[in-house]
Amino acid sequence: MLFYAVFLQLGNLTPTEALCTVSSATSRSADFEQLALPLFGSLYNHAFWLTRNQADAEDLVQETFSKSLRAFDSFQPGTNFKAWIFRILRNTFLTTRTGIAASRTVFLEDHPETLAATAVDLTPEDNLIRLGDQAALQSALEQLPPLFREVLLLCDVEEIKYKDIAVILDVPIGTVMSRISRARSTLRQLLQPQFGESL
Amino acid sequence: MNQMSQNDQSTEHLNPDEVNAFIDDELLPGEQQGVQHHLSTCHGCTLRVLSATRLKAATGRAGQRFAPPPEALGRLTAQLHSQQTETAPQGKKKVVSFDSFRTAAWTALAAAVLLTVSLFGWRQMHQTNTLAAELLDQHLATLSNGATPQVISTDRHTVKPWFQGRLPFSFNLPETLPPDTILKGADLTYFNGQPTALLLYTIHKHEVSIFLTQRSTSPTLTPLPRTRAGFYLRTATTSNLNIVAVSDVNPADLDLLVAALVSIQKPA
Repeated sequence: MLFYAVFLQLGNLTPTEALCTVSSATSRSADFEQLALPLFGSLYNHAFWLTRNQADAEDLVQETFSKSLRAFDSFQPGTNFKAWIFRILRNTFLTTRTGIAASRTVFLEDHPETLAATAVDLTPEDNLIRLGDQAALQSALEQLPPLFREVLLLCDVEEIKYKDIAVILDVPIGTVMSRISRARSTLRQLLQPQFGESL
Repeated sequence: MNQMSQNDQSTEHLNPDEVNAFIDDELLPGEQQGVQHHLSTCHGCTLRVLSATRLKAATGRAGQRFAPPPEALGRLTAQLHSQQTETAPQGKKKVVSFDSFRTAAWTALAAAVLLTVSLFGWRQMHQTNTLAAELLDQHLATLSNGATPQVISTDRHTVKPWFQGRLPFSFNLPETLPPDTILKGADLTYFNGQPTALLLYTIHKHEVSIFLTQRSTSPTLTPLPRTRAGFYLRTATTSNLNIVAVSDVNPADLDLLVAALVSIQKPA
């Protein structure tokens, strides 16, 4: 951004630039709002899962929008805006007290997981009926370690592609794949006491 | 997902990564056809895929749980408009004389220097992030229940000799460890393209991964962040080893273990 600021200053110093009016910030802001406001609900939902608190979630989303608007010049048109702003949301969260505390309470060894094959004694329709129990799933999601819950929310709720999740989480795509695999396996394990081995 | 194996001709069942990539629509067209062909002949995998699809859909519904309060959007847009007003440039035209070109030239030079420094810094940061991600990934892999160490022993006289012939370097393991620190075993792995001894310890039931690499092949250890995703990273060097420790245990305890490992190595 420092370099960008210097560049702007240089631009103002040339005669051509000096004769031009400063570009319209209104247009830029309108472009930003057009892209960002439809994601407000998704960002708020994700922020709530991260912060577990309505006020903190709203603050987090507001700060995310504020930072995103300021940094909107660095967004490259044609790339995934949703991934870009989710990354800003996540990085903003990680700098908060709640974020730091949450990231330090990841005790994966408390959540053993296996990748055992699924039992085949129940039909998919049985599973569908059983999985209709939203409360059980929400409870299981809450019990997931944050790293696992986060990747599942991005993949299954936000339907973001692996390569973009890798950008948001700042990890290699292989890590995204392994986290998704382990997250789903752990989720099944958490649901098994209620749903048996059908998962 | 070009690393996915083709299963169209295979009788092997789909592995979990393939199932996930299939239901997440992450397979290449050829791979997808291969999986679909396999599913047409494998009842067990078909049920697994259907179950996984249902779970994914149900997770999507359950995860979409929190709606913002109705007035929140109004507050947000008001904040954005306020921010725009503060940062919007004045409409007044600004004319600058040609005398300023000298200043502009110096500014351009400064910008070029800044760009060079920034690029160097970016490359350094990129490398650091990649290495830290690789370390954390390997550490997380050891936490899995299914990840059994290649050598399981609390005895250093078993663990150290196991690496003989497997690594182009040797190391010592401390006889006396800090309180409540236990050697669990070890793995032979690769880190940053180098053969690496991965020592597995526990401190107060927290898992610790220690990565030992040969210093002569990489004399300077790239600086790593001291924390990443809630885990602590500690680095140390001896005359012939680079040592990196990863854990979520209290950093003071982690430092004690690293210090014990450093002190037991042979001096130059």
